[in-house]
Amino acid sequence: MGIYILKRLAAMVPTLLGVAVLIFVLLRVIPGDVVEARYLTQGSQFQSQELMDQERHKLGLDQSLWKQFTTWMAGLARLDFGLSMWTGSPITEEIKLRFALSLQLAVMASLLAQVLAIPLGILAAVKQDSWIDYAVRVFSIAGLATPSFWLGILMILTMLIVFHWVPPMVFTPFWVNPWENLAQLIWPALAVGYRYSAVGTRMMRSAMLEVLREDYIRTARAKGLWLKLILTRHALKNAVLPVLTVMSLEFAFLLGGLVVTEQVFNLNGLGMLFVEAISHRDYTLTQALVMLVATFFLFVNFFVDIAYAWIDPRIRYR
Amino acid sequence: MAATPHTVDELTQSAPRARWFATIVNFIRQRPLGAIGATIILVMIAAAITAGFIAPYDPLATDYGAMIAAPSRAHWLGTDAFGRDVLSRILYGSRTALEVGFGAAILGATFGSLIGVGSAYFAGRIDLIVQRVMDVFFAFPVIILALTVVAVLGTGAGNVILAIATPMVPRCARVVRSSALSVREMPYVDAARACGFGHSRIILRHMLPNVMAPILIMATAFLGEAILLEASLSFIGLGVQEPTAAWGLMLRGAAVEFAETAPWMAIFPGLAISLAVFGFNLFGDSLRDALDPRLRTQ
Repeated sequence: MGIYILKRLAAMVPTLLGVAVLIFVLLRVIPGDVVEARYLTQGSQFQSQELMDQERHKLGLDQSLWKQFTTWMAGLARLDFGLSMWTGSPITEEIKLRFALSLQLAVMASLLAQVLAIPLGILAAVKQDSWIDYAVRVFSIAGLATPSFWLGILMILTMLIVFHWVPPMVFTPFWVNPWENLAQLIWPALAVGYRYSAVGTRMMRSAMLEVLREDYIRTARAKGLWLKLILTRHALKNAVLPVLTVMSLEFAFLLGGLVVTEQVFNLNGLGMLFVEAISHRDYTLTQALVMLVATFFLFVNFFVDIAYAWIDPRIRYR
Repeated sequence: MAATPHTVDELTQSAPRARWFATIVNFIRQRPLGAIGATIILVMIAAAITAGFIAPYDPLATDYGAMIAAPSRAHWLGTDAFGRDVLSRILYGSRTALEVGFGAAILGATFGSLIGVGSAYFAGRIDLIVQRVMDVFFAFPVIILALTVVAVLGTGAGNVILAIATPMVPRCARVVRSSALSVREMPYVDAARACGFGHSRIILRHMLPNVMAPILIMATAFLGEAILLEASLSFIGLGVQEPTAAWGLMLRGAAVEFAETAPWMAIFPGLAISLAVFGFNLFGDSLRDALDPRLRTQ
């Protein structure tokens, strides 16, 4: 097991290096750079070739690509993300609060999703082909079909028209005012959580159906075991693994993937930051964000695999 | 003289028609949800084709005398901030949605399945390298990858298709590869190799047709996702551009600003998106049940 963990950790390095190369190259292919983007917003009177060259020199953009890449890598190895090209402040500072927001939203959405998905999935599987099953399936397919950002608009609209109340639009960290914080984040979490729960519900239902056909379930039933006990002790434990995988992968994507929902609820999360950074051609910030999100994804994947071995004793790793 | 060919003609024609009819009736009876999905898709395709005839107004025509008009007999679903008819824009918007949806799904599934089958066929070092490259693409959230491609290529329908297809390629490749691995071990692939056929012939003629089921399943799943992703990109202004009629675009700007006084601008385009994706998902689910016996329980 120890060797397996080490192997898995080592395997992340080439993937992350690939991600780094890919985003580095893609950013340089995008037309324009941060200096141009800045002068474009400040008006053309500042635009002189000399000034722009000076600025590029200061940011190190006149160095060769290879030099830029190795400098960045050397920084990453020391966990130093460097300075944002647009604002000039340390990237760690830029990201810190937004990371807290995105992470909290992702955690809340995934908790909501699981609370909804697991019981609904079990219910649909136990009552297969009844109207309950059909209702749950339609509910979950509708969840996959409804854009989260539109659901968000509808939520705000409903609250506005019915309660004449809008959730707070300025982010308050949880440790400052938990009530204010939750009043703001519960809505985007619901909007995102619905779609996310649909993925889980469908997986839970199909995994449960498969397990319920197993011999040991029939044995448990034949010996007159309580249905509730069969479901929770025998079936759920075996059916929950694929659900865990699907939901963790979704969770990993929630961190940077809520670009549009964040816009609707006016949340300055990592997704919005990414859009800003890329439109400013802020290479360093964009690169840092992509590396952060990719690393998070790889680690979630890694923990899922470890959790598999822990939950299911039949799985042994070499 | 004329009667005999007539009946023969009728016989040869009616037999396949009856079989088709029976298949359709059977499909509706066995998979009612799938049939509902197929109906929604057909209605959408019909709306896209006939938009020019059935739309009451030009989707781009502005009418400053009727800005943000509530639904009425003249404008069934109201008008937007430029006085453009919402119903007409939704009807024309189905063209954009289908164009991007089919474009991205076909592109993503084609490249994904070629890479997947190729990777499984060549095996060894090539397979390993291809898998590692796919892992890199996997580590990007879908929308982040799509946004980056849009930043490189620029906005507009054609580029949006490429941007949406990009994250689909590795996902399709992974699923197809796992199916192709077992096909590779089939005796007919050995036989084809013994016959001295080239790699491309074996991949395209012998292996690809046998992994068609997962490819079709992936492609229909991609259709709905592509429509959603296009709406998301257009909504944040990085997809299809004004004044093209596109559902995501209709939800942008004024639709949110005036949501309280003019909710029709925000409600109807969103309903169109949800209904379209709902239809494709329902149909895709039934298709998967029908094509893949292992997953029949889902």
